[in-house]
Amino acid sequence: MIQSTSLPPQIKAAVEATDLLMQFDARRLFSAHKLRFVEGDVIYLQGDNGSGKSTLMKILAGLLKPSQGYVFSQGFSRPAWWQSDSLLGKAVYLHQHPYLFDGTVKYNLTYGLPVRKIRTKALQQRLEQAINMAQLSDLLQHSASDLSGGERQRLAIARAWICQPKLLMLDEPISNMDKHSQRLVLAMINQLKIEGTGLLISSHQTCGLTALCQQHWHIKDQVIHTSQHVPNLDTQQDNSVMGSHYVIAK
Amino acid sequence: MSEGWLALLQQAFRLLLSFDPDVWSIINVSFSVSFAALFITLIPSIMLGFFLAFTHFPGRWIVTNLIQTLQSIPTVVIGLLVYLLLTRNGAMGDLKWLFSQNGMIFGQMLICAPVLVALSQAAFASVDRRAWETSRTLGANWLMAIWTVCRELRVALLLAIVAAFSRILTEVGCSMMVGGNIMNVTRNIPTAIALETSKGDFAQAIALGLVLLILALVLNFALGSLRGKALPRSH
Repeated sequence: MIQSTSLPPQIKAAVEATDLLMQFDARRLFSAHKLRFVEGDVIYLQGDNGSGKSTLMKILAGLLKPSQGYVFSQGFSRPAWWQSDSLLGKAVYLHQHPYLFDGTVKYNLTYGLPVRKIRTKALQQRLEQAINMAQLSDLLQHSASDLSGGERQRLAIARAWICQPKLLMLDEPISNMDKHSQRLVLAMINQLKIEGTGLLISSHQTCGLTALCQQHWHIKDQVIHTSQHVPNLDTQQDNSVMGSHYVIAK
Repeated sequence: MSEGWLALLQQAFRLLLSFDPDVWSIINVSFSVSFAALFITLIPSIMLGFFLAFTHFPGRWIVTNLIQTLQSIPTVVIGLLVYLLLTRNGAMGDLKWLFSQNGMIFGQMLICAPVLVALSQAAFASVDRRAWETSRTLGANWLMAIWTVCRELRVALLLAIVAAFSRILTEVGCSMMVGGNIMNVTRNIPTAIALETSKGDFAQAIALGLVLLILALVLNFALGSLRGKALPRSH
């Protein structure tokens, strides 16, 4: 069951799942007693291929219903009376292979803006900042379908970044990406972290990105384990990805 | 023989280009009735196609198969059904729609809707699910997300619309039975062609046939250019 409760604005935005069980037909994928994804948290979601990382993210994003359990949100602004108060659009989910709409890069970048209540001036500034960070200024009028893999990922993250989500879930965001694109994506994610966005980052192995994380969710033996300890990383690899000028926000 | 054909063609063009009131009245009835039927059924049918493609409920396959079967029912059978409904003693007899344009529109709606639902369902079933998920997770409400998916599928949906429109514009069975082929009221292109041919007045029949041919050419070229622009893309 998926529910949503609107609480006073001083309460941090969060998505919480309790007594969660997900199974496809008879195949049990994972279960969890309690998961809490709060604004400001940076969580590393680990699990083998096929363990259900993407499924968990989709459940928290409201895109999938769990087989059992409750998922609810807190601390988000109340929608208009004519809109349903669902989880969708609260914790933004970014696919491993992001989908870009048929149209220009600019169309894709600004897709989520009409539904976000952001002032026009601030919006323009944020749009320019996103374009610069993702290094897409020369590609704005190009068709999104012409972009390379790294550019597509950068565009997808920039598109989510502009929307200023309180919670963002990134599904293997730097897999199969060259070093340059990885650096740009890491800078954008780091910026989101500085702004206090809650981040849930999945990866089947530790990478430079996991250095940003403060919490660890691990899907192992069909159970989601949570801890405050993030596995150690190969620092050599991280530095090469992040570059000498890159500072991790802690 | 060939001279006779040439003379008929010349006569047919003359009827069209001189804006012969009888010919253009028939064209007007044909297009106004078919556009009205298409206009009324378009959005509900596409929404139903979307619903059938994106949701799972018990008996969905029965509904899908029924709609696909309805596509292939001869228009004259639909005409018979509508006739029985609209006749004075029929369930909808009080509407007094028999032998009127409203009756023709109603009949054409029944012919048009299954084509639109089935083809749009097939289009929606083929769309990348991530388009819907991305739209929703970025905050779009369901209506905006449906619009986005329709935009992604615009060529396939236009094809569905053209197929449905072609079917109702050219059907003769239902229009003949429900409309009654009354000049300036319910006589449309297919019923007029059938009538003029039976009378041996081939010039008007050819003129009206030319209108359908030109329309088919324009629609196909327009769609062809759209299809050419919509190249397959990797996601």
